[in-house]
Amino acid sequence: MAIINVSAGSEAVLFLGDSEANANIAGSDGLSVPRMSDITLNNSTGVFRFKTLDNTAESAVTTPATNQITLNVVVDDAAFFGTGAAVDTVVGTGLFGCSKNKTRVYFNAGFEGTDSGSKFLSGSGFISGLAPTVNMDSPVWVTPVTIEVDGDFANSSIA
Amino acid sequence: MAIRDTLKANLDVALASSNVSVSSELPYNSGGEPLYFKNMKYLYLDEDNIEKTELFNNLDNNDVIQTETGVTGYLSVDAKNPPGDIDTIVSDIITSRLAVTGQPTRDCEMTTEIDADRLLYTFNFNFITFN
Repeated sequence: MAIINVSAGSEAVLFLGDSEANANIAGSDGLSVPRMSDITLNNSTGVFRFKTLDNTAESAVTTPATNQITLNVVVDDAAFFGTGAAVDTVVGTGLFGCSKNKTRVYFNAGFEGTDSGSKFLSGSGFISGLAPTVNMDSPVWVTPVTIEVDGDFANSSIA
Repeated sequence: MAIRDTLKANLDVALASSNVSVSSELPYNSGGEPLYFKNMKYLYLDEDNIEKTELFNNLDNNDVIQTETGVTGYLSVDAKNPPGDIDTIVSDIITSRLAVTGQPTRDCEMTTEIDADRLLYTFNFNFITFN
């Protein structure tokens, strides 16, 4: 049992790829999203409540979860616009290209870095919510990014 | 190149035909008095004061750093008989901030103060960049 401290700078990581293999957190073909200011993984189940005549309190059952990854990043030109020709579509077209082209992206979201035994969540979804913004008081492009997860998160450890 | 050097290079040219010169010395104290009080009509520029702060603290420690550089300039003149071209001189000194490139913010605040028979102009230059 231990807390997960990310202050060393290599623990909270997000790898994206156009296939499960390319999004591998221990691999090198996918896009390791650089300069993330924060990241949030949402696993929000819905709730259905109902009342029965033989009970003094409501009953509840959970309904399928809405899964989502939200993050804020300082825009890196290669990560945002892509590098052009690349093995992986996400690397080639960047976050913007994937959003515009509605490309399915696979992800590995690491909690503890990329060493063997480190925990991560994986799945696939679609990039949305890009809204790059800049102003003269803060003249560096920043943008929120949302990955609308299609289906469930899988919880794994790096082999 | 230090910002002080850029400002000085620009002001050497801008003030060449004026009643004020730019000193290459720092505004240190000599005989208990700062040089800019002793030597009227000489503009003294202090060293760069640099402050770096994290604008965006990122999870991969690849932070965006804000660098704020301050340079202070001092010029004293005879309060009773200031140079006839003092307005142009002050304007040229303030405008010299634009000679510093690559800094999105280029501010200059000028204040005056009278001490005995001397009128002291203080120029606080402030430059901000990000990387």
